[in-house]
Amino acid sequence: MIIRGDEPEQIRLLKKLYPKGNYFMQGDEAIAYGALFAGCRFYAGYPITPASEIAETMARELPKLKGYYIQMEDEIGSIAAVIGASWTGFKSMTATSGPGFSLMQENLGYAIFTETPLVLVDVQRSGPSTGQATKGAQGDFFQARWGPHGDHPIIAISSTSVEDSFWETIRAFSLSEKFRIPVLVLADGIIGHTREQIKIPDPTEVEIVYRKLPTSDEEAKYPFGDVHGDLIPPMPLFGHGYFTHVTGSTHKENGLRDVYTPEVHDRLVRRLHKKIELHKTEIQKWEEYYIEDAEILLVSWGVSARPSLGAVMKGRKKGIKVGLFVPKTVHPFPGERIKELSKNVQLIIVPEMNLGQVILEVQRFVRDEVPVIGVNKIGGVPLTVEEILKEIESSAERSRHRSAD
Amino acid sequence: MGWVITMQIRLAGFGGQGVILAGVILGDAAAIEGLNVIQTQDYGSQSRGGHSIADLIISKDPIYDLIVTKADVLLALAQLGYESTKESLREGGLLIVDTELVQPDKEFTGAPFTRIAEEEVGLALTVNMVALGYLVAKTNVVKKESVEEAIRRRVPKGTEEINLKAFRIGYEEGTK
Repeated sequence: MIIRGDEPEQIRLLKKLYPKGNYFMQGDEAIAYGALFAGCRFYAGYPITPASEIAETMARELPKLKGYYIQMEDEIGSIAAVIGASWTGFKSMTATSGPGFSLMQENLGYAIFTETPLVLVDVQRSGPSTGQATKGAQGDFFQARWGPHGDHPIIAISSTSVEDSFWETIRAFSLSEKFRIPVLVLADGIIGHTREQIKIPDPTEVEIVYRKLPTSDEEAKYPFGDVHGDLIPPMPLFGHGYFTHVTGSTHKENGLRDVYTPEVHDRLVRRLHKKIELHKTEIQKWEEYYIEDAEILLVSWGVSARPSLGAVMKGRKKGIKVGLFVPKTVHPFPGERIKELSKNVQLIIVPEMNLGQVILEVQRFVRDEVPVIGVNKIGGVPLTVEEILKEIESSAERSRHRSAD
Repeated sequence: MGWVITMQIRLAGFGGQGVILAGVILGDAAAIEGLNVIQTQDYGSQSRGGHSIADLIISKDPIYDLIVTKADVLLALAQLGYESTKESLREGGLLIVDTELVQPDKEFTGAPFTRIAEEEVGLALTVNMVALGYLVAKTNVVKKESVEEAIRRRVPKGTEEINLKAFRIGYEEGTK
């Protein structure tokens, strides 16, 4: 039986189990509840710090909502189970951290090529390798973009607080369902393990998106064809009498393998890219703070966006014209907007918990026209308002000297 | 001790003392009162014996930091926890220690929380609630009743009464 999440019985259960109101919970738990409100009713995973609380919450809550939880033998099996469940019609999710995310890359590539909707949460921790298991980081930005081999599109989202984690997980499901593509949630071990207040909404306040299904047997014959002109093929689910072939090898619109004809591969891979490009405005999301007259622009994401905003507000109080840009969809990266903003600023500062990843994307878009400097911290301790403010102040000081010269 | 807008509190001990649960309960109590609160933790990979730290920022204003930057209050339940966190206590901040387990090298207040838990509550495991009661009485960061409500929500079922008893004994001790 398919569950979308907005059936009257499901709404009744959600209302009863998680009444609208204020809760005090961790980011990991907020991700799990976001998934439940989005209609996720299948979870397969393998526990790993700092993502285990997502699995714990799903294991406890899914059966109450007529959903399924499976603990798999490892991360490779976990994402494989999620892919299978998605083809039966379940909105499906897995969650992991660095080492497990690395193991999932092969099947993530398979899910991308077979246009399988799923949500994969990477609660980033310090790496490489086992690294610092209990510490948060933001080092997987490019792994999220280019983890699987080959040309491929991807959508990745990063949230900035506990409450934001709830809503951004819902958005991850919506985008995944709508565009038939895996969506990554780049969470981190700090927000994942931070508790704060969160408002749980009434389930009717959450928009539920479900994948496009074939409306006729004829449409179902082309599970990888652009039958509606929007580049998004309807998905013929398993168990509904269709004869559907799903393969990670290059395939024609009808799903059958053709790994020899150059045009078939070209057509398929280009459509996958164009599908995301065509709908980019709907997929991309960002926030802007105090940018109207900003001379210094901060670009910060995920856990670092919060102390960045605190630093910007303190900088403003000191009379420094500083603003903040926060990409919420980090892939596809909203570089065009940053390029636009860069025309009016003298300097861009990029605070992040790595040795410089998002900064490379920013530089790619603004070229040499504006100096871009990083505020980088690794080791598992989040950036603080004071640390970022110090950088803003010394930058403002330097530019004052320059203009005095 | 009164507080104006923001109070940063750090609880430190070793794994197994319930430091993080105490932090969660204090955070929940602040949330119950409608205050802004951030609660984070830091611990070793081992389940017992490593260091264990719970951080709380409680504020009437929005909070932009995720960790305690300068603690107004430091509660240390073990020498290990004290040594690794003492530098984070601000000048003139309040240091609370288990007086039989920690030998501080600066001004402090406190009580033998572990012995009180053993002898007066009858269960050494409740040391975290005894110490929390003491801290709440000394700081007035939240109301006693809010913490009691949070304890009922957060401790394992069937252990509410003994935890409440421990909290109240600690609170009494803190008002002395």
